[in-house]
Amino acid sequence: MQLNPLTLHLPQTIAEADELYAKLDNIKILAGGTFLVNSLKNLKNKGLKTPDNIISLKKIPELHAISLENGILSLGAMVTLDDIINSSVIAKEFGILKTVSSQIATTPIRHMATVGGNLTCRYTWTELPTIMVALNARLHFTSNGKEEIVEAENFFKNAAKTNKILTKITIPKEENLVVSYRRATRTAAIDIPMLSVCIKTCLKNKTFADTQVTVNNGTVFCQRDNLLENFLNQKPFSPTLATEAIGQLKSPIYETKDDDYKRHMFEVSIKQALEEITGKAK
Amino acid sequence: MTTTLIVNNKKYELNLKGHETLLEVLRDHLGFTGTKSACQEAECGACTVLVDGKSVLSCITLAATLDSQNITTIEGLSQGDNLHPLQEAFLEKGAVQCGFCTPGMILAAQSLLNKNLAPTEEEIKKALDGNLCRCAGYVEIVEAVKSAGQKLKNG
Repeated sequence: MQLNPLTLHLPQTIAEADELYAKLDNIKILAGGTFLVNSLKNLKNKGLKTPDNIISLKKIPELHAISLENGILSLGAMVTLDDIINSSVIAKEFGILKTVSSQIATTPIRHMATVGGNLTCRYTWTELPTIMVALNARLHFTSNGKEEIVEAENFFKNAAKTNKILTKITIPKEENLVVSYRRATRTAAIDIPMLSVCIKTCLKNKTFADTQVTVNNGTVFCQRDNLLENFLNQKPFSPTLATEAIGQLKSPIYETKDDDYKRHMFEVSIKQALEEITGKAK
Repeated sequence: MTTTLIVNNKKYELNLKGHETLLEVLRDHLGFTGTKSACQEAECGACTVLVDGKSVLSCITLAATLDSQNITTIEGLSQGDNLHPLQEAFLEKGAVQCGFCTPGMILAAQSLLNKNLAPTEEEIKKALDGNLCRCAGYVEIVEAVKSAGQKLKNG
């Protein structure tokens, strides 16, 4: 099907994109297009209004950059999932990002979909938010020539709302980290996860420390589970800990409206993640 | 907007509308009908083409964003009457049934072979995970990709 007519803008610099974004009305930002173009088709199918203006960020070179300087990983908003998977810097220092990106969607989608699009599309089930919150990522936005930096956790607490352009994501490298990520889909044929979980902790004398548990239940934006974090912190690694932790899933984020399977998969995912962490610690 | 699309190594200067997808431009403006139109919502992979050697879905790509990038369609693989090793392998292994998914499958496979001429079965399945075959000829398709990789590796 043909899309409704629109004006496509292809700025070459962040400043140019910023200026266009401030000047134009009824506008959407185009990153990889895997959400937006389908969304434009759906809106047209439903007879709803579609944007008059699209700003593609594709031609802005600095938005495609990956770098690691002074212990800070910087990902341009237009870095694709495939770029993450093939980056030697990321594989060496932030392997969990490669693991998560490899599991998202399908190969052609991974060639197209971007970090920025995944974080700002406002679909609750996307997977990078969970890992970005867990890794204490910071999102860098631009608006009217000014940069605003927002913690990923706060961004998703605010339901990923923004009227600014995301330019890059920075992630601090932390020492002695162990991270485990789990996702579950309803069936093997559906690549949209019904839930994802990321547990990050520091190895200090085989005891959980500075633990962060980030949970996405697919229907609201990802959140930290402070109850489980408090339970785990200061606990020594033990073979029974994963099973004990399952009894601590009391946060509202696990409420699943009579969906026993989903609740069960939360338990399985968290148990597996903790077992992986304690296994790595050995 | 005036856009230069490089399709199968040939330059086309086109006056594109912002909303035109690559699928529409390839099929309707340039006549590359080997690129198939099916689900049109990024689910089936029938519209797969290569952009700078990587598989992408032309149904959700706005054509004007691809100015000066190299686009390969199924028509660009063979050299005159000589089929590409992947095309030959698909025929030899019986990996073509109704044939509708075949262009997308072959280009997705080419994207994989561009970086790895000796993929494992798992790697092939992963590379083709975005391409659906309603005839369900997946076993032969995987065999064909493996065989083509070996052929290309051995020169």
